[in-house]
Amino acid sequence: MLAIAFVSPGIAGEEDISEKKRAEILKTFRDSPFLNKYCIECHGKNNRVKKGDVSFANAIKRPGAGEFRKQWQATFVNVKEHSMPPVDAKNQPTDEERRKFLELIPLIKYLNPKDPGLYVIRRLNNVEYGNTLHDFLGVDPSVAKDLPDEVPGEGYLNTLSPLQTEQYLAIANEALNRSLGPKEGPPTTRQKLLFGNTPSSVNDWRETARKVSTSLARNAYRRPPTNEEIDVLLRIFDLSRNNKLNYQSSMRMVLKAMLVSPQFLFITPAKETSENEAIIPLDNHQLASRLSYFLWSTMPDSELSNLADLGKLQEPDILRNQVKRMLLDSRSRALFDGFGSQWLGIKDLKDKRFDPKKFPGMTPELRTAMYDEVRLLFDSIIRENQSILNFIGSNYTFVNEDLAKIYGIKENINGPQMRRIEIMDANRGGILGMPGILAMTSFPDRTSAVKRGAWVLEQVLGERIPPPPPNVPALEKQDKNKVANLTLRQRTELHRTNAVCANCHKIMDPIGFGLENFDAIGRWRDKDDSGAPIDAAGELPGGFKFNSPKELKAIIASRKEDLARNLSEKMLAYALCRQIEGYDQIVVDRLLENIQKDDYRMQSLVTEIVTSYPFTHRRVK
Amino acid sequence: MNQKSMLNRRNCLKGIGVNLALPLLNSFGWAGNDKEKFKPPIRLGFMYMPHGVIMEEFWPANPEKFLSEPPPAIESLRPVLKQCLMVKGISGVPIKPFNGAPHALELSTWLTATLPNADHRNKIDIAISADQIAANYVGGLTALPSLELATMPQTHKENQEGLNEGYYSHCSFRSATQAMPAEINPRNVLNRLFGKTDKPGTAPQHDPLDRSMLDLVISGARDLRKRLPLEDQHKLDEYLDSVRAVERRIASIEQRQKDAALEKAGVATKMRNASDSPPIEIKIPIGNKRSEFMQVMCDLNILAFQTDTTRVSTYIGSTPNGVTYPELGLSGEHHSFTHHQNQAETMSKVAAITSFNISQFAYMVKKMASLKEGNGTLLDNCIMMWGSGLEDGNKHTRENLPFIIAGGGGGSLKTGRFITTKGNQGDLLTTLLACMGIPVDRPIGIATKQIKEMMNG
Repeated sequence: MLAIAFVSPGIAGEEDISEKKRAEILKTFRDSPFLNKYCIECHGKNNRVKKGDVSFANAIKRPGAGEFRKQWQATFVNVKEHSMPPVDAKNQPTDEERRKFLELIPLIKYLNPKDPGLYVIRRLNNVEYGNTLHDFLGVDPSVAKDLPDEVPGEGYLNTLSPLQTEQYLAIANEALNRSLGPKEGPPTTRQKLLFGNTPSSVNDWRETARKVSTSLARNAYRRPPTNEEIDVLLRIFDLSRNNKLNYQSSMRMVLKAMLVSPQFLFITPAKETSENEAIIPLDNHQLASRLSYFLWSTMPDSELSNLADLGKLQEPDILRNQVKRMLLDSRSRALFDGFGSQWLGIKDLKDKRFDPKKFPGMTPELRTAMYDEVRLLFDSIIRENQSILNFIGSNYTFVNEDLAKIYGIKENINGPQMRRIEIMDANRGGILGMPGILAMTSFPDRTSAVKRGAWVLEQVLGERIPPPPPNVPALEKQDKNKVANLTLRQRTELHRTNAVCANCHKIMDPIGFGLENFDAIGRWRDKDDSGAPIDAAGELPGGFKFNSPKELKAIIASRKEDLARNLSEKMLAYALCRQIEGYDQIVVDRLLENIQKDDYRMQSLVTEIVTSYPFTHRRVK
Repeated sequence: MNQKSMLNRRNCLKGIGVNLALPLLNSFGWAGNDKEKFKPPIRLGFMYMPHGVIMEEFWPANPEKFLSEPPPAIESLRPVLKQCLMVKGISGVPIKPFNGAPHALELSTWLTATLPNADHRNKIDIAISADQIAANYVGGLTALPSLELATMPQTHKENQEGLNEGYYSHCSFRSATQAMPAEINPRNVLNRLFGKTDKPGTAPQHDPLDRSMLDLVISGARDLRKRLPLEDQHKLDEYLDSVRAVERRIASIEQRQKDAALEKAGVATKMRNASDSPPIEIKIPIGNKRSEFMQVMCDLNILAFQTDTTRVSTYIGSTPNGVTYPELGLSGEHHSFTHHQNQAETMSKVAAITSFNISQFAYMVKKMASLKEGNGTLLDNCIMMWGSGLEDGNKHTRENLPFIIAGGGGGSLKTGRFITTKGNQGDLLTTLLACMGIPVDRPIGIATKQIKEMMNG
């Protein structure tokens, strides 16, 4: 309901519009009487007038700016649904005025000049760093396990502390010990593979070091090193030689230097940018890295690197083929661990505590199986290039023995390994009926209709629910006498007797009620904890009624546009490591048009993101 | 370090932060043969608990009886009350227009005394925090400019008012746009700061060539820097800053080793006063008891101060999301309890959690008070502040921020008292920096003054 189908008469499909057209839109917008007549009296004659903390004083100055995007979205919804201006305001717009204003708001996105956003050199996050060490040196990624956890993708802070930098040095030492063997020992096979045999004549050492360093740095820096960079490495070689280290040990020092260099720790461009350009395409190597860390959370493999060396990655067909190849590779699991688990909010399932008395069966193994079930669904949708709508409506899932019991499956399913099964019960199937998701959106000891409703709206449909106002008691804090005889559902419905709460809860709670047949760890039930029969009936805005999880799922699944827009925006933000703003709106609209033509297939979505303007370009000033 | 050379150094540091590669000092100690001349440095530490307190349990009822009848919440501090200072009347930063983000802004406003830039709320864009201002002045004198500790990963994802989610779990900001990540693994701190084993002062694992190697890496990074656009250069500067800190720390360990060797040979002048307590032992706890975990982080903080490894620290006792206290027999989350609606039973739980947190702080400062340093104790030379970013978690108010200061600040703080004043969070931070001898050329956040009643002289 809150997601907006931005219709853009006349200019749909255009990537960018002229300055003149932009000025026209801005003028029309500023001259439009609606804001002046019906809004700004309470919301922004000046900066201090901001009833409910909403002011248009700044938004009208720069309507296209990214920070006002949510405000315009909310404005659109409020005006469309007649919540604004309030019914008791003395000035009420006519339907015609309302309609005209609603046509204007979607044009705001065109006020943003074409802009891919900054792509500041990005440090590898803790996961990417471990994986890269694995691919580069053959050590287990756990060598980096002591680095602090970080938020990958959107919300990544790209920052570091001295203590963390210290860890990089220690981890480099450890990784070299594991990969090459102890420092004092004879050269190992891998060492010879990396450094070659010690040249028989000492006079050849430096020249050999130059060649070997150049090829090692090509991998470590994920781009060809510059001459200056090789010179630095050779100075490190000389330093080691001057301290009486032999060829092998000196090369080991060179390799360690690479591992703590910014060129290894950060994704850096291969090419110098010219002074007078503001927006440039990513060079082939930077694009290869961006792609590889997006899909695999690790460095580019040799095929991708070779294409970058040949300068071919900017060719759309080649880039598309690489996306497909990479998605089918087992390394694409990283896309779930980094993105999917965060999107679906089950990243922390393994650490979540459940009431051991009530749910003794909720063991670490079972929680892992629940996580894997979601992961395997995500994975199969990618691999089989299914429609993303199957996240809601899939008719199969993955279980092992423990998980089958949660599903109440009677057939013989033995052992801990996960296997694919068909689903006959239409109440199950898809993320809305998955135990992991249902458990993650519950309290330690009981279900939460509110949490589940909020999860569906925010994570699945991409709506934004404002935080609850302060001073509202959570459910367990309500007057015990008054609520003693009410069911959980009736108690939750008390939210809606308070006008402040009702606005959001009237949408959120029914969705949660529709899933009440699933207990706090996802088992089916017909009665709640107090023994009262479950009432899973509800109604969503627009008069959509349901009586069971199955019917609720069908309603959610019918909102294809919202599902697709939400997933697209979230995945684009993950890929770009930043929030969606400004011009990205046009990018997403275009992307949605394209994937809709291909039945919202997952591989199309990922390909569209990788080939999109903000992914392939960067603003440098 | 005598006061005069300290001032010179300060002048040289002023305005350039630690971007400058500092010449290494001959020693990282401060003691010398002539006790008159040398004075231990002042250290500044912050420890945090989210969600506010139960006011009746926290604020002293009678200023006259602060020492004899302290409020229940700070009972654990009784042995060191004479070195404590409580001040009521310090308001937090008003969070409008971010009213829907009371918890996202608890931590991030705490040491910045300012709000995020509303126009770029989705990015980190706030202000350098007080601890980092201090680190800019004294951080160059120690192995590590500042130490950031926490007990929970700083990865909470919850969108409040469109704010960058990093605001939720960070209190320390190196600059307006750089949040300082905190370390949550005690073993890492011990290994990285004090050598490889659980015992301080043992040999580090560094290669003797590491320092020279890092020098060359830094020079290479400078070449790279020239080729990059401006925003990239800024990002690279953060890296360069922290690699230089690593270099310095290696140097300090080398120095310590050299001194130890000389001392063993009977030719060295001692780094510290003979009467100073030896470095404390660190035991990494097994199991997951919250008190033990919090205490080992306290120990690391003490050790870092005691060995002058750093002079500035922040310690996020817990972040505002979902911490539980099974150790106190409580199954729910701290945050849920604080919305107690004035129900006695729930309020008593919040009080218990608060006392628990303050007792961890008390553990730290009491231990500091037991360690001899110069003519007094380590605590005499520290300014340790424990506090929260909200006053009343139930209503999200921030009129009188709850906090306690322990330590003499080298004689700069007037302790053993409870006073009432009128001021704000920025004033408080400005005052603490002034006590440390740090000239602040711009007000910290919303500050308008120093709170003179807190200070001696």
